Amino acid sequence: MSRILKAAKSLLGLALSKPMTFNFPPDAPLTERHRGRQLYKPDLCKGCKICSMVCPNNAIEMVQGEKSETNKTGLQPQIDFRKCCFCGLCVDNCPTEALTFTMYPFLLTMKPETLIYTPEMLAVPPELAHPEPPKIKSTVAWARSRSIWIVNYMTGCCFIEAVPWVASSFDMERFGLVAVGSPRHADALIVGGYVTPKTLKRIIRIYSLMPQPKWVIALGNCPMTGGTYWDSYNTIKNIGKYIPVDIWIAGCPPRPEPIGVAVVHAIQAIQGGYTGKPEKTSTDKGKMRVPRYPLLAAKPKEGQVDMVFGSQHSASGNFNVSLTLDGETVVHAEANPGYLHRGFEKLMEYRTWVQNIMLVPRICVLDGASYELAYSGVVEKLAGIKVPRRGQYLRVIQAELARIQSHQMNLGFGGAATGFDTMVRIIWGDRDHVLLLLEELTGARVYNIFNTIGGVRRDIQPDFPEKAGKLISYLRKRLHVYDDLLFHNKTFIDRTRDLGIVSPDMAIANDVTGPNLRATGIDFDVRTATPYLAYKDIGVQVPTATQGDAYHRYLCRRREIEESLNIIERALDKLPRGPVAETKTPEGRKITWRMKIPEGQALYFIEGGRGELCFHAISTGENTPYRVKVRGPTFGTILSQFPKLLRGVKMADVPVIYWSLDQCPADHDR
Amino acid sequence: MSREKFTANSFSATLKSKYPVTQSGVQGNILTLTVDTGTYATLATYLKEQGFTRCLTVSAIDWLDDNEFEVYYLVHHLKNNIYTKVATRIPRKKPEIPSLATVWDTAALHEREVWELFGITAVGNPMLKPLFLEDWTGKPPLRKDFNWRDYVQKEYYKAKEG
Ligand code: SF4
Ligand code: SF4
Ligand code: SF4
Repeated sequence: MSRILKAAKSLLGLALSKPMTFNFPPDAPLTERHRGRQLYKPDLCKGCKICSMVCPNNAIEMVQGEKSETNKTGLQPQIDFRKCCFCGLCVDNCPTEALTFTMYPFLLTMKPETLIYTPEMLAVPPELAHPEPPKIKSTVAWARSRSIWIVNYMTGCCFIEAVPWVASSFDMERFGLVAVGSPRHADALIVGGYVTPKTLKRIIRIYSLMPQPKWVIALGNCPMTGGTYWDSYNTIKNIGKYIPVDIWIAGCPPRPEPIGVAVVHAIQAIQGGYTGKPEKTSTDKGKMRVPRYPLLAAKPKEGQVDMVFGSQHSASGNFNVSLTLDGETVVHAEANPGYLHRGFEKLMEYRTWVQNIMLVPRICVLDGASYELAYSGVVEKLAGIKVPRRGQYLRVIQAELARIQSHQMNLGFGGAATGFDTMVRIIWGDRDHVLLLLEELTGARVYNIFNTIGGVRRDIQPDFPEKAGKLISYLRKRLHVYDDLLFHNKTFIDRTRDLGIVSPDMAIANDVTGPNLRATGIDFDVRTATPYLAYKDIGVQVPTATQGDAYHRYLCRRREIEESLNIIERALDKLPRGPVAETKTPEGRKITWRMKIPEGQALYFIEGGRGELCFHAISTGENTPYRVKVRGPTFGTILSQFPKLLRGVKMADVPVIYWSLDQCPADHDR
Repeated sequence: MSREKFTANSFSATLKSKYPVTQSGVQGNILTLTVDTGTYATLATYLKEQGFTRCLTVSAIDWLDDNEFEVYYLVHHLKNNIYTKVATRIPRKKPEIPSLATVWDTAALHEREVWELFGITAVGNPMLKPLFLEDWTGKPPLRKDFNWRDYVQKEYYKAKEG
């Protein structure tokens, strides 16, 4: 009873407190450091072409302009925002500051070609204010009375920025938008980022199942041009070839704000009578047809049925597990990954050591910062570069903030999997505040690209410790709300206790790592076992549990959030003075975007949000890697341990176990 | 089963006295070894007995110029916190390697990935079938002689509608 009272008190407290939802259109400009549309100053440009050479996505083309005293070649950059991922390499490497970032994020269109910005267009500072749709007051009110249902299919990593719209922070329900599981009930399909052939087949199928009229919104550069994966052997370069797309939003990923603007525009268009482009699908001469289900190796016995969980399921992520059911009970399960395989290990062989830093966080969208960190670490190890202490501390702060948001994401999913949507809204709303602080620190919410070989790219602003302190005390208070609503909640306890128990032996045999491993009682954390960066100085207390069930896996993450807050606080207290990055190799050569790395091999381990992450880099002395092997933390957990845990459980518990393992299909698929 | 305390250095010496190791190195708690293909699997069994219970990966490197594949596995000793990487070289013409599926559970999955992405067969592995790719028609993509630029041009940029 007291538990119920406590939960009720928490909810009442929430209801009485200041609303957590951001205004829309946003009233304040975005975080000052946000890397948005570039500004070009022609009178400073030397026409040196460096910006176009350094761009990993071929987004910059040099066009012939007038020759002048400063610009002897007359070449000027033209940026294609269908391709630019705002990594900042061009801005960093421009010798004259002719290119700088603005905070402008609103790059969306119905005609992708209009996203090519000529030097003249780039030279005009963007209007930072939110692009107001005409007659916003009445229209939005009108629009709000309508409802668009959106298919719940998390295709690629851009989806991460559609997620805040589900949360309390952006709250799409105020526009009448609802995510729905069945395509047969949906009006709109959001293609959230890159699409592999395997995913494309499902998208075409889902699109054809939707009733008319239907609209398609494509998020990010990948569905437009291939984006960051323009040369990947396993992603589609233009989804418009296969299904008609109504609105394109550029960015990598786009911020939630442009997504909101796109939705408001879409609502208005729909109110004005726009019924979407005519229905059409292309399967590329049948190659893109969905293969016949089931995908199981073994045929089910008499009385048993096949069931496909994912890849388009409200709780699956873009991952599939094929189940054989006897009544409600799973008797056999087989993981079927690969929906997100982009061939990172190949891509990395064709980008320079430094360009790869902008690529690696995209391996795992939920915890990209760890990948940056591990990759920079392995390159520094190969080259013998030592990161200055201040740089190490800032990396720790970034990594811990990333860990917090990753765990918050997971707790939210924990709520979703047990049918407790309030938790999703609340925790993901809090997560947005962490992302904003990350942006304050690094320049981007999701793919920070904060690291460089030798340290971090920029120092903190003077007010950062204060902002961080505020967030820390806010989140500490909020942790008690999570406790009341989730961990002391009888429904949640009943659904997760003693479910999906992993014993220590199983965990070791199946290479389960991170909080999942520690929930079985094994106290292994790379931060304490083999301390890297400044973790030894700062100190880490690793929470463990012994039961190994779903509940304790969630609980371990909840406690880790608490410890990460402490770590950030200690790191800020002790933050040493000095440079944030090394600029020279031990041999005295300058660190540049196409530096060569000495021949050799190196292994580097770190503790990411999901556990032990390992990079293995092989150099033959060139400016590109010969090979990089990424051993992500979820490979063993999801592909080996997860199907084994399902045997004998009820169908309804499948998502609960799945999310309690904190999966990231993008990580094991690579 | 011996599970006493040892360091990467002392363990390296033990291994060298027992097995024909062609190359070895120690860096902190990481021990790297190169052995011949005959020792590759027997050493795995020994390592498991010594307490290297976590298999982190089995992977490969394509040394096209030497006309060889390097196949390696990376294992971890939890109690002593030592990582060991064992590599061996096999000819590209006959890309076969004994499977470690009976030694470590997860090795089977990693070998499946290596089979798919490098075209190296782990002999004795029961689950060799596509893992990530569906209806793949090109060469194993992580091979250095896979002409990915042509493949991408043909399959995606020039893909016909219809
Ligand atoms: S920000 Fe990065 S992707 Fe964009 S144009 Fe500059 S270098 Fe290219
Ligand atoms: S913008 Fe900068 S890097 Fe690009 S051509 Fe001009 S001076 Fe060179
Ligand atoms: S790489 Fe960038 S554009 Fe592509 S799906 Fe991911 S976030 Fe979106």
